[in-house]
Amino acid sequence: MSASLNSRIAADFDTATGGLPATGAAAARRRAAVERLLARGLPGPREENWKYANLRPLERLRFMPALPAAAQLAGLPTDLPPALEGFTRYVFVDGVPVGTAAISTAATGTASAADASAALVTLGNVRDDGPLHHAERAAGADERFALLNGAFATAETGIHVPATAREPARLELLYVASADAQAGASYPRVAVRVDADAQLVLLERHLSAAATPSFVNSAVAVDVARGARLEHYRLQELNTRSILFDTLSAQVAQHGTYRLHAISTGGQSARSTSTIRLTGEHAELALAVVALGDRQQVQDAYAVVAHDSPNARTTQTFRGIAAGRARVAFNGKIVVARGAHGTDSQQSLRGLLAGPEAEIDVRPQLEIYTDDVRCSHGATAGKLDDQMLFYLLSRGLDRDTAQRLLKWAFLEDVIAPINHPALRRQIETRLAAHLRDETLRELV
Amino acid sequence: MLSIENLSVSVDGKKILNGLNLEVGTGEVHAIMGPNGSGKSTLAHLLAGRPGYTVTSGTVRYQGQDLLALAPEARAREGLFLGFQYPVEIPGVNNVYLLKAAVNAVRKQRGLPEVDAFEFLGLVRGKMQQMHMEDSFLSRGVNEGFSGGEKKRNEILQMLVLEPRLAILDETDSGLDIDALKVVAAGVNSMRSPERSFLLVTHYQRLLEYVVPDFVHVLVRGRIARSGDRSLAVELERRGYDWLAGEAA
Repeated sequence: MSASLNSRIAADFDTATGGLPATGAAAARRRAAVERLLARGLPGPREENWKYANLRPLERLRFMPALPAAAQLAGLPTDLPPALEGFTRYVFVDGVPVGTAAISTAATGTASAADASAALVTLGNVRDDGPLHHAERAAGADERFALLNGAFATAETGIHVPATAREPARLELLYVASADAQAGASYPRVAVRVDADAQLVLLERHLSAAATPSFVNSAVAVDVARGARLEHYRLQELNTRSILFDTLSAQVAQHGTYRLHAISTGGQSARSTSTIRLTGEHAELALAVVALGDRQQVQDAYAVVAHDSPNARTTQTFRGIAAGRARVAFNGKIVVARGAHGTDSQQSLRGLLAGPEAEIDVRPQLEIYTDDVRCSHGATAGKLDDQMLFYLLSRGLDRDTAQRLLKWAFLEDVIAPINHPALRRQIETRLAAHLRDETLRELV
Repeated sequence: MLSIENLSVSVDGKKILNGLNLEVGTGEVHAIMGPNGSGKSTLAHLLAGRPGYTVTSGTVRYQGQDLLALAPEARAREGLFLGFQYPVEIPGVNNVYLLKAAVNAVRKQRGLPEVDAFEFLGLVRGKMQQMHMEDSFLSRGVNEGFSGGEKKRNEILQMLVLEPRLAILDETDSGLDIDALKVVAAGVNSMRSPERSFLLVTHYQRLLEYVVPDFVHVLVRGRIARSGDRSLAVELERRGYDWLAGEAA
């Protein structure tokens, strides 16, 4: 972290907040975030949990939020992925809501809409005492990009599924990055709460409007209450010139279930940091991460799961493929606290090298401070299995097809459990495009 | 069909095949027997094109072509089939997909259009019944979680569907109980025809009671030590392989 980076953040902060009131809760909140950030500085490559991330772009990025006006003018790409049946879609450009949502926001300052499936979605200003703010106050050393979001974000989306909801809610948040990174950054900011015994399926998607290089820094807070269930799909499909930093912090209460599927295929450089605390007994987390890198892409994910309570379960699955000169990294840590007996955790981290100049880094970490736990972990990084390849060739499949088939097979563990067929299809199509696979569409 | 002359092959500098000669005529069934480490499986895999072998001398001609110059997938498309001793599990690649891709690869080579998916499924189901395989097999991953016997049956099923010209079966009988062996043997016998040749690699003569070969060869230290008809297999069963050890020297 260079002094010049700090001074650029400070200068951009002064510019960004120049026209805003200097006093009041909002100003104090922003000020606190930037001060905490500047005191610590953004992460540097020598830090253990950041050594695989590509931090060089920070030297030339601007931190000012992109102007909403510019976002509106840029418009939306015409080839947005089709909306999924049963899902209510909200669209954001450069982190700011657009369309009808934006209009109602402008009119009232804060818009609330009861979603068809009884989720309450709030599109409006950043909340001064919301869960994201609390997450920032408690931000650990690896969550400093959340502070950056807290200092600069201008809009926040709240999702609340009340305990009274009878049907599972289904929502899609579609974030389109359009501003050039030199003009301004995008700060998506989402707080999700699923109340006791309620259910939510949340699809969060990041796309680029065009080939413009964008800088996206998102912060997400998730709260899964007692007995609640959240299925969270995060699809990162930015163009390959864009930079993404993402920080997610979640907590899961007693008997709560959190299924988090993160599929990262876009970006020149993408880093996500997820901290998930299982705070209640019998809480359950299924974390599945897919990352594909090609050409010069850098995909880096760091996921910490804290077992704070007894008898909670975690499965952590990672499948990464690095081709070209890409680097794909996953650092998965599970911490079992004192007293969290009966913890059951399984880690399966696998990386596939699909090019002689590609790099795969998988790192399982397990810290256990109690007895009576079942924790298994496995991590592999390697090339396609020669025996499998020969078997397919011996059946007449050409080498290209056989290799692509084996890549699909490699990803199968994390794709098959996606139990929304239309969504799975979109994900598979995206993966196929990334694997430059035309022949295997019929397979999926 | 297949003509092997003076073939010597080494793996990691170690000589495995040592001046092997073998002629397999069209429509013939040949059995290759021999003690462990005699080079039987090396021969089978080399013919299918497995990488990692160094041919130090000799030629292999298959239907008039230089077999060793062909890539493994090209050999398969020319009608050569290897039934593996240890079929590999490929979770995530579904059985029916592999079968269809394999059949279409051969058809493409022969200038034929792709199979009709519906008709193909009917054909495969018929062959599965023949091999006493359950329907659920189709949607499972290739050999995924299969027992040893199921894997071998799957190899024969693939052979039935692909209809090769030369089928090389590497220890297909190993690990099979007697019922499974009969099913596998019946599958092989149903494929015998004047246009198709077989090379059965086996350690025991048990399979040969059900699939009666035209010729039996004994491989010792990388070359054919003795050839004969089925009675040679019976003799081997009675006397073992030791008495032939001197003949290959």
